[in-house]
Amino acid sequence: MKSRFLSSSVSAIVTLLFAAYASTSYGADEKITVMNPAIAGKIAPRAPLSPRLDTLEGKTIYMVDNQWGGPEGAYQLLEEMQAWFTANMPSVKVIVRRTKDNMFGDDPALWKEISEKGDAAIIGTGQ
Amino acid sequence: MSRHARDIEELGIPAVATSGINIVSYALGYDRTYNNGMPIRYVAFPFPIAGQPRSVHKAYVNGTDQLTGKPLMTAVIEALTVPLTDKEKMTDTAVTAKPEVEPRFLQPDTEEKLQQLFKDKEWTDFNPIVLPTEERVKKMLAGTSHKPDEVISTIRFMPGNREVTVEKVAIAAVMAGAKPEYMPLLLAVATRAPFGNSTSSMANTIIVNGPVRKEIGMNSGTNAMGPYNDANSVVGRFFMLISRTAGDYKNNVNAWESLGNNMQYNSMTIAENEEMLPKDWEPLHVQMGFKPTDSVVTIGTGWTYISSLGEVQPAYPAPMLIRDYMRSLSALGSGATIFVDPTVAGLLKDVNGYQTKQDFSKWLSGNVEKTVASYWGNGVIMTSNNAMALQGLEPYAGWSKLRKESPDSLIKPFNNPQAINVVVVGGAIQTTWFVTDFRLNKGVLVDDWR
Repeated sequence: MKSRFLSSSVSAIVTLLFAAYASTSYGADEKITVMNPAIAGKIAPRAPLSPRLDTLEGKTIYMVDNQWGGPEGAYQLLEEMQAWFTANMPSVKVIVRRTKDNMFGDDPALWKEISEKGDAAIIGTGQ
Repeated sequence: MSRHARDIEELGIPAVATSGINIVSYALGYDRTYNNGMPIRYVAFPFPIAGQPRSVHKAYVNGTDQLTGKPLMTAVIEALTVPLTDKEKMTDTAVTAKPEVEPRFLQPDTEEKLQQLFKDKEWTDFNPIVLPTEERVKKMLAGTSHKPDEVISTIRFMPGNREVTVEKVAIAAVMAGAKPEYMPLLLAVATRAPFGNSTSSMANTIIVNGPVRKEIGMNSGTNAMGPYNDANSVVGRFFMLISRTAGDYKNNVNAWESLGNNMQYNSMTIAENEEMLPKDWEPLHVQMGFKPTDSVVTIGTGWTYISSLGEVQPAYPAPMLIRDYMRSLSALGSGATIFVDPTVAGLLKDVNGYQTKQDFSKWLSGNVEKTVASYWGNGVIMTSNNAMALQGLEPYAGWSKLRKESPDSLIKPFNNPQAINVVVVGGAIQTTWFVTDFRLNKGVLVDDWR
C-alpha cells in the first residue's frame, strides 16, 4: 500500500514536471510575447547638393575611377563615356582620372583639383 | 562612390555617381539613409562591370539608365544640369528626419506566426529558432554580470550605426539555443559582429582558446569542425544570427554576395586543441600576448579553405603540400591560417624541424610562390593593392611593373610571416590539415564579459 502511494506520488511529480517543461511550448492559438532582436539604425545627418550647371557645353568634366574592381574596372567604362562626349558633345572637355587610394580611401588633392579646374564630376566604380 | 561624390559636392561641384544597379539601389536606400545623408544623383549600369570587355562597356554607355529607363548619357547630362528640387536643397522636412525606433517587444502572436515573422524579417538562417521570450532572455542575462542596456559595440559597416547592447546579444543567444554559461563568449564574439559582407563571398572563422573551452564543453578534438558539439554549433550559429539581427543584413538590400558562402552558417567555430600542442608550440592566444589562463576568442575573415584530403605522405611531407596548396590563395594582406591535426603538428615539429609555429610561418612566407600574373589576376588583390602600386609603395609597385614586363615571374606573395597563423585542432585520427585565407583579428578577452 505504502509503495503504491509512493509510486503514485512519484508519478504525479513527474507529470507536474513535464507540465512545467511543456509550458514552454505553446498551443496553436496561444499568443505569446517575444523580444525584438532588431536594433534601430541612426539616420545620417542630411546635407544638400550643390547647384547644377545650366549646360555642359564648353565645360570641363572630371571622370573619376575609384578603383573598385581594379584599375580596369570602371576606367574602361569611363573611357567609353569620354568617347561618347567626343562624338556627341565635342565642346565638353573630359579628364579621366583614378583616385590615389583604393575605394576605401579618399583623395583630397584630386577633389581640390576638380574644384579648381573642373565644372562637374562623374564618379565611377567597377561594381 | 557616394562618399567621393559627396566630397566633391561639398566643394560646390555638381557630381553624378555611376555604378551597377545593385550598388546604386543600396546607395539610394541604406547608404543614403544611414551613412551619406546627401541625396546624391545616380545613374545605373547593368552589372557586372569589372571584367567585362570594352564592347560590353560601350553597349552599357549607349544603352539605358537602369534607374530611369532613359538613354544613359541623357541621364548623366540631366543629373548634372536639371535644377535641384526642394528635397535636394534640403529645404523641406527631410532636414530633420525622424529617428528610427525599434520597440523592445514584438506584437503578441502565435508561435507559428512568430517563427514565420522572424523568417520574413530575415532575422534567421531560415531554420527554426528558439523564440526569445522575456523569461528566456532574463535567464540568458544571468550568464554575465554586465547590465542589459550596456552598449558593447556600434555596427557601422554597412548597417547604419546600430548600437549592440548586452540585451540584444542575449536575445540572439536565446534564438541560437545557447546556454547562459555561453554568454561571456557570445558577448566577446558579438563585439566582432557582423560577419563578412561584400560582393565577393566572404566567410569567417571563430577560434576559442583558454579555459572557457572546457567550461562550456567545446570540441577541439575529433570532428571539431563538424556538427558534433553543442557549443561549437551554437556559438557559430549565434554569430550568424547576431549579424542578421543586429547587423540587419538583408539579401539584395545590403547583402549581395554573388555566390554567398556556406561557411557563414557556422563560421568554422572551433576550440584550439591546446592539450595536444607539441612542446614549445604556443596556443594562438599566447602568441597574441595573452596569458595561457586567459580565455580568448579570435575571429578571422576570409573566403576560402582547401583540404589536404588525405594523410601526409613521407615522400612529400606536409610543408611541401601546404606550400603548394597555399599558392591557390590570394595572399591578401599576406593572410593565411593553417588548421592542422595534432598529428601533423607533431610531424612538423619532430620530423620537419619547426620548433615553433612561427618557424613554420617563416618558412611558408619564404617558400610559397605564385606567378605575378596570377597574383594580380585576383580582383580583391587588384582592388586593394593596385592603388599602393600606383603610389610607388613596395613590394606592390615592383610586382605591378613585373606583371607588365614578365607576367610568368614568380613572387613570394605571403611577405609577412606574422600574418600566417597555425592552429592545432582535431582528434589525431589522421594526418590531415586545411589551408585557409583567413586573416585573424586581434583576439578578444572573454573574461572581460563574465
